[in-house]
Amino acid sequence: MNNIIDRIKYGTETIKNPIKDNEFSYGKIVAARNVCDNCGKCMNECLVDAIKINTITNAEHLVSIDDKKCIYCRNCVDICPKSVLQMTSDYKMSELELAGDKLRDKIYKTFNRSLVLRVVDTGSCNACMSELNAMSNTFYDISRFGINVSPSPRHADGLVVTGPVTINMKEALEKTYHAMAEPKIVIGVGSCAYNGGIFKEGDGVFGTLHDILPVDLVIPGCPPSPQAIIFGLFKIMDKIKK
Amino acid sequence: MKITDIINSLQELNFDLKYEVKNKNELYVRIKADQIRKIVLICVDLYKFNYICEFSVVEKKTTIKEKETTINCVFSNSKQGYYVICSYTTQKKPIDLSNIIYQSRLFQREINKEYDYKIKEVSGTGAYQVAVGPVHAGIIEPGHFRFSVMGEPIENLEIKLMYKYRGIEKQCEDINANTLNLMFERISGESSVAYGEVYAILVEKLLCADVSAPIKAFRVVLLELERMYNYMDDLGGVGNDIGYSYVAKKFGYFSEVVHQLCERVTESRFMRNSIVPLGMNIDFDESKRKDILDTIRGIKSRVLSIIKMSVNSVSFLDRVEDSGMVSRDMAKKLCMTGVVARACNLKYDVRAAFPYELYKEIKRDINIETKGGVFERYKLKARELKDTFTFIEKALAYINVDIKREKKEVCLIEGLEAIASVETVKGELVVYGLTGKNNKFDRIYFKTPSFTNWTGLSQAVLGEIVPDFPLINKSFNMSYSENDK
Repeated sequence: MNNIIDRIKYGTETIKNPIKDNEFSYGKIVAARNVCDNCGKCMNECLVDAIKINTITNAEHLVSIDDKKCIYCRNCVDICPKSVLQMTSDYKMSELELAGDKLRDKIYKTFNRSLVLRVVDTGSCNACMSELNAMSNTFYDISRFGINVSPSPRHADGLVVTGPVTINMKEALEKTYHAMAEPKIVIGVGSCAYNGGIFKEGDGVFGTLHDILPVDLVIPGCPPSPQAIIFGLFKIMDKIKK
Repeated sequence: MKITDIINSLQELNFDLKYEVKNKNELYVRIKADQIRKIVLICVDLYKFNYICEFSVVEKKTTIKEKETTINCVFSNSKQGYYVICSYTTQKKPIDLSNIIYQSRLFQREINKEYDYKIKEVSGTGAYQVAVGPVHAGIIEPGHFRFSVMGEPIENLEIKLMYKYRGIEKQCEDINANTLNLMFERISGESSVAYGEVYAILVEKLLCADVSAPIKAFRVVLLELERMYNYMDDLGGVGNDIGYSYVAKKFGYFSEVVHQLCERVTESRFMRNSIVPLGMNIDFDESKRKDILDTIRGIKSRVLSIIKMSVNSVSFLDRVEDSGMVSRDMAKKLCMTGVVARACNLKYDVRAAFPYELYKEIKRDINIETKGGVFERYKLKARELKDTFTFIEKALAYINVDIKREKKEVCLIEGLEAIASVETVKGELVVYGLTGKNNKFDRIYFKTPSFTNWTGLSQAVLGEIVPDFPLINKSFNMSYSENDK
């Protein structure tokens, strides 16, 4: 009874378009052209070696930032004396890893109505797990788009991996992957899942996810917001209108 | 007993000890290895200190074959607010203290890196084992649970963790002190702010520096915002495991609202890279104050009504009452901390015992419950959640100026050591830092709250049935990540 009164009083909380623009979100870091003087401060500040400075001509340097490696701490943006780098609010950064492969396209087509995922944590800091949990709250409510989390790998189409792959979790990850039926996809969530992120050098970390499993999609961020994760999943389900 | 009384008292006992008081509230006692058992016995029995942790510091090679390790045992006096660090050197394994302090075995296993151990087995009619994990159903971190069951009730539970071991403590030694806060924040994502805060306190203690009152107040606001969304998730999780989905979903929504507020205030949903040593890395102005106040006032009455809705439901009470009990003596024996310990009538909160930032002024009393079951933990979390609303409003009143983003360079002198502690969502977090060359640390040790509280879980489930385990687990809600490090 109380539930019904509360429900009528406050109405629905779900947003219509979960991947609408969010001006407060962190996002892609863009570099201005023809300003950088190659001082290298940003590269020294970066903990995950995401920044590269390419020299085009003697006077012109181009800063490039690897979205997938970046942990979005903003230290490079703050430290740059010439304000070359700027953080935008564009969180839509996920790209398919093997774009153009026709066989892959076919596989994605088979999943474009619904996607059942199995989540395995292989050493994340549990922020990614918290964001994956947040996807199914009443604000985003991803199950209406056909995305569900399955308790068993046997029922799953895709494997979501968070965190660097630790030595102790490697076997469990492989077993989960092999328990899934074909065709299957692997999604890495967060910069740790791409190449180990901030934990890359830890002595308990086995290696990157790419060495163990074929990765189809990496969702960059540290942690990626629910919106970024939903965008990535829509991309693999071919639901993004071009 | 004050810290000077302890020194006098120890001197009267005629031991060959060296004393040193550092950072005002840390007493370092250097002991010879053969006397450590006596001193520890005196600390526990005579002075009634709380045992915090035990860890190894530096490995020195004396000759080619032999190496010398310093072992630190940390005790605290929560009434007077100081730490006593008893250290001794040994060439072999640490001296066994487990018959004086029960939990010592846990830390010594960590020092010796003996993670392989035999799982206890039950035998007889109706005895069987249930193995769960490391990959769980749902979005949970990895860990292995082995239930030994006799018919229905659980006879024994072995929790095998360390699946997520990454070697963070070792990695911290390679990172410059100016960017180390990023690594701290990634030990446990749920408690990012608390870890950032403990790093700031540690560095400020080492540099004997202090920050202005508005910055202190702003840090309290962030710490309490973090507490807010975590407790909302916890309460929602309990609702979810019982099958009361309305409560679960509403708390999930409130948590999302607070996360979005955090994103607007600090540009990060987990408020990362906001608290830095000697300052704040984000701006604060009038519009942000208004945003915070409007948002939390907007959801406050609704949160309270949902809490009321849950505790007034008979089917809810039927599940949570008298399940997952831990007695006070057991909680003390297992060195449990945080909400979980306070639910067992252990009156201890770092915010009151070792007040940091503004908590001396705003944290007046400690919430406790007596019985130590799932319902007590639920009620206590609900009360802590209510408190966060008042703390944020109180702390915001202290901020009378706009705060400008400021990140000062940190330069650490070699050979200093300090201990810092913070009350995270899970409990007491103690960090030991020893500075080294090149503005880096030689040793960072984390005594995370989950490390000791996990053993409390294996006590709480005894005599319960296996289907109740998820509920009891959720009412503890310990972090795997910070335990494994």
